Amino acid sequence: MSTEQTPPAAETDAPQGPGVGVDEWVARSSGRREYAPGRLGDAQRVLERVPWWVILLAAGLAGACVPFLTTNDFQLQIGINAMLLAILAVGLNISVGWAGLLDLGYVAFYGFGAYGYALVSSNQLNPPTGIHWSTYISVPVVMIAAGFLGVAVGWPSRRLVGDYLAIVTLFFGEAFVEFTNNVAPKTLGGPNGIVSIDPYKVFGTTILTNKGYFYVLLVLLVLTVGVLHLLDTSRTGRAWRAVREDTLASSLMTIPVFRVKLMAFAFGAAVAAMAGTVFAAQQINVFPTDFATPFLILIYAGLILGGAGSLAGAVLGGLILSVTLDGFLRSPTEAGYIFYGLILATMVVKIRPWLRLGAILGATVVFGIIVHTIVKAISSSAVAGGPQSSGWISDLVHNWVVVPSNPTRAGNIGYVLLLVLVIALVQVKGRWRDILMVPTLYLAACVWEGVLVAQPSITRQILLGVILIVMMNARPNGLLGRRRVEVV
Amino acid sequence: MKGRIITAAFALTALVAAGCGSSNSSSSTSSAAASSTTSNTTKACAATIGIEGPFTGDVAVLGQEQLAFAKLAVDMDNKANGTNITLVQGDTQLDPAQATTVTQQFTSNSKMVAVVGPAGSQEVQAVGPLFGRAGIAFITGSATNPDLTTSGKNPTFFRVVSRDDVQGPQDAQYIVTHLKPKKLMIIDDQEVYSTGLTSAMIPVFKKAGIQVDHESVSQKVTDFSSLVAKVDPQTTVVVLPWQVAANAEQFGKNLAEQKKKATIFGTDGTQSSSFTIPGSYVSAFGPDINSIPADAAIAAAAKAAYPKYGTFGPPVFAATHVIDEAISSVCKSGQTPSRANVLAAVKGTSEATSILGQPIKFDNHGDLIGAKWFLFKINDKGQYKLVTNT
Amino acid sequence: MRFFIQELVNGLTQGSLYALIALGYSMVYGILKLLNFAHGDLYMVGAFVGYFVIQWFGGSTALVIPVPLLLLFMFLLAGGGVGMLGVAIERFAYRPLRNAPRIAPLITALGVSFLLENSMLLLFGASFRDYNTSAFIPFSSGIHIGVLNISLTRILVIVLSFVLMLGLRLLVDRTKLGRQMRAVAEDREAAEMLGVNVDYTISMTFFLGSALAGVAGVMAGLVFNQIYTLMGFVAGLKAFTAAVVGGIGSIAGAMLGGLLIGIAEAMISGYISSTYTNLIVFGILIVVMILRPQGLLGRAPLQKV
Repeated sequence: MSTEQTPPAAETDAPQGPGVGVDEWVARSSGRREYAPGRLGDAQRVLERVPWWVILLAAGLAGACVPFLTTNDFQLQIGINAMLLAILAVGLNISVGWAGLLDLGYVAFYGFGAYGYALVSSNQLNPPTGIHWSTYISVPVVMIAAGFLGVAVGWPSRRLVGDYLAIVTLFFGEAFVEFTNNVAPKTLGGPNGIVSIDPYKVFGTTILTNKGYFYVLLVLLVLTVGVLHLLDTSRTGRAWRAVREDTLASSLMTIPVFRVKLMAFAFGAAVAAMAGTVFAAQQINVFPTDFATPFLILIYAGLILGGAGSLAGAVLGGLILSVTLDGFLRSPTEAGYIFYGLILATMVVKIRPWLRLGAILGATVVFGIIVHTIVKAISSSAVAGGPQSSGWISDLVHNWVVVPSNPTRAGNIGYVLLLVLVIALVQVKGRWRDILMVPTLYLAACVWEGVLVAQPSITRQILLGVILIVMMNARPNGLLGRRRVEVV
Repeated sequence: MKGRIITAAFALTALVAAGCGSSNSSSSTSSAAASSTTSNTTKACAATIGIEGPFTGDVAVLGQEQLAFAKLAVDMDNKANGTNITLVQGDTQLDPAQATTVTQQFTSNSKMVAVVGPAGSQEVQAVGPLFGRAGIAFITGSATNPDLTTSGKNPTFFRVVSRDDVQGPQDAQYIVTHLKPKKLMIIDDQEVYSTGLTSAMIPVFKKAGIQVDHESVSQKVTDFSSLVAKVDPQTTVVVLPWQVAANAEQFGKNLAEQKKKATIFGTDGTQSSSFTIPGSYVSAFGPDINSIPADAAIAAAAKAAYPKYGTFGPPVFAATHVIDEAISSVCKSGQTPSRANVLAAVKGTSEATSILGQPIKFDNHGDLIGAKWFLFKINDKGQYKLVTNT
Repeated sequence: MRFFIQELVNGLTQGSLYALIALGYSMVYGILKLLNFAHGDLYMVGAFVGYFVIQWFGGSTALVIPVPLLLLFMFLLAGGGVGMLGVAIERFAYRPLRNAPRIAPLITALGVSFLLENSMLLLFGASFRDYNTSAFIPFSSGIHIGVLNISLTRILVIVLSFVLMLGLRLLVDRTKLGRQMRAVAEDREAAEMLGVNVDYTISMTFFLGSALAGVAGVMAGLVFNQIYTLMGFVAGLKAFTAAVVGGIGSIAGAMLGGLLIGIAEAMISGYISSTYTNLIVFGILIVVMILRPQGLLGRAPLQKV
């Protein structure tokens, strides 16, 4: 290995192409340093010395302070949704991140947990009194049952690998929704779902408020992360990592590959089911449509944005995605923060040196003023419409952007033009890119203020898509993921 | 590497900074049109109302129509009454879990006094108690499950449309009496609205001795040729209690393609300019607003805003109008609109006429008193012609 | 018997559309090992392009040009336009992630999917659009023998799909571009060293796959009449299933998988139950996968040690 030549400028992340006489892997990895330079590196070194459970407890305590900072139930609900997504991401991480198995039916385990808990905690079965087990019994029973279900779903992994396994799990996920919607409507409720589910009763109290469920979820999240970390550093975790990297070699090293895969499915399912029970208790009703594929997409997005393979990454990704989606993007003013913030952040990262960045921003402002003045002079109705949102940003740009009084038609054209310009931006290089960036930025602001804010629900989905694209391009391994060399 | 850390730090800082800003979520509003942004002057009678519905997702076609009509109502009423009502959207994608989140966003917004929607019966079940605890009146234009008003769990719930246990048997009775089929097929689309109506209609058919063929197909299916191939020559009526009118249109086209002569009977979900199969019957809660002279202005405005409207828009217009009038009456009596007095005003609503062609008055469960039922038959030109009116 | 043939034709129609979309999936997967979840949305864009072509030429009831010319325009514009859109997406979203772990482009693809679906929703609204094909291709044309009724549109769709699939097969097997595609799919770096322009080949693959999806979209509009912004989601899932069941990376496999799923859906819906159609189809496919883990026509993956 030491006789290989390493190219000098190996700081770049993506190699330009295979070079002759160069070991690809070394070339890609040799430029990396262990720690970041300067203060950040010092901080990293200190953090590594602190035991993991201290960090976990500290995070848990920080989370426990959150309800005191919130002022209403909505924010607590955001927190609940965020932690549910975080727990789900952590559970999915077991199959996808640690064991390398693509499980596309994961949301069905979540649904199984919710429905299972609902069946034993409501009047659905055995009417009119129904079955009402104690929480201490129902939750573990549902988790264990989900574990068995996970084993059943993972059984085809004996013969199927990779994307073929993914398909079978996808079937299972879709089948769950169909099943609960159409089969046995008297027992499972059909499209009407199961209603009036008992709340959690733990430590003598019945949890009825958002605050209560927030704490329940916080405790569960901390416990889950703790248990899974122990699992990760145990033989099982090492077995999972081995199976992920090279199935054949690990089976030669006496790892029971099939059993290990089944365990990944089972643990993931149990974690999801646990989250499902809390969901059912907090929502009081469950319906089949709660567990459809779009939610699965969110779980995956959260996990991969945070960094598959890393527990902290899964938690962080789930939390950030959920808070962004529910907290920010649901209100037009705050969606504006995300929009402008994303643009600015991308520019700050990609454009060096600072002088160039400042020049472009300045040019944009000037360009906008010029365009605004010209258009106003031509026809005053073309600038009559104001920005459709409120808040300090729109007040700032009010006289800068061009928004006609009937923004729909022009806005649509502007939107398409914006997409075309962004794609073109990626293609051109050098000086042209800087020049093109100026009108693109201005157009982005105009389209945002004119059209996108008027349709907040659609914009929310569009921004979600854009966030996914941008984050993946910026950090393909996720926020806290480690770069791995993958042999395909 | 450094840049990446900066990005992450930036993102976190932005989150925290905006998080401090978001603790006052009442700062977020979205205007219906430029006219509503002129809120610099201390306008009399300012209030915020919300609308919950599926504005994106599978059934966006319903939600967007409802949104367009709600915006129209707010605009027209603001001009007519001199009020300054702002409409805030909350997208639920017809998912009860999202509806819960949106509802809590609304109840936490201290400026919010009333809400239009949610659109689905499951969503109402999920959010009814929340609205009840917050004392916010919410009126739906499309949730038809009878339980919503009979269970007592939704004290602040109102609706401007009739219920499944009224529409179902009435439609079925008409079919039995006037269409007299020997055999019919009834297909539900696996949604609550559809299965509710189906289970209300089938007993009536069975009692009349008609052979009933009950099929079920997912709302996402867009081609019904396999199902249509199963329609045998003796089946003269096919009942489609569907929500998506375009699917019913495609079903009709498949029937024509395979030269089957069955008549389609659709419930109010199929009333739409998307469904124009000649010879079909459609039952509805509202008359065709094009045919009422008093609604001419609204019909023209609706056509401009949302050309292909159907059954979901007008009830939401009516619901929004009820709320607007309630707010206006509160202001006229000299008070500032609050949740309590708007709720009381809504309860006491008494409109002699409405876009739905009937007076609006709620009983103490929240149901519309004397909900009328209209039946249309589609003629050869694809126009809806009124048949009977009970 | 007539009923059987009717259902068979229904299944073939639906199945050929799934097959066309599945072909695009398979091609892109073969080359990049990427599951392009935005593929179904390209199908949707194609359908809308076709719709607007009809409107441009007068609308379904008042066409100003003869029908064959209209169809030609629709297919060319949809195929070409969506093809170019696919190339743009590849350059913009997937190229930077060529060397990233496989799961990263998956999420990007999902992001592109959200973007496409909701951009269409923003620009064109949520109303369903109606091709109203029977206005310019009347139902009376076609085959009508007693109970059996097959419209000309369906025949057109089935025939055209087979022609396209055959054409693609020929392209991959006989032409230089096809050879390059197969080479890049087999081993990208080796192909590059042998002088294959990898970027160009990948772009062309995307173009072809997306063009096929676009044409499939127009055909879907012609047969199913009603198009809406989320029609690609379900079709994409089914096509992905078809591609995998047939053996992912194999073109004939994608065709076979698509037809199999289409026919199975029609037959089960017709003979057994329309309520449980999806469940039963899933069950059958699971059995197929377990019996043949590499898909129907896929190659058993070699494990490199």
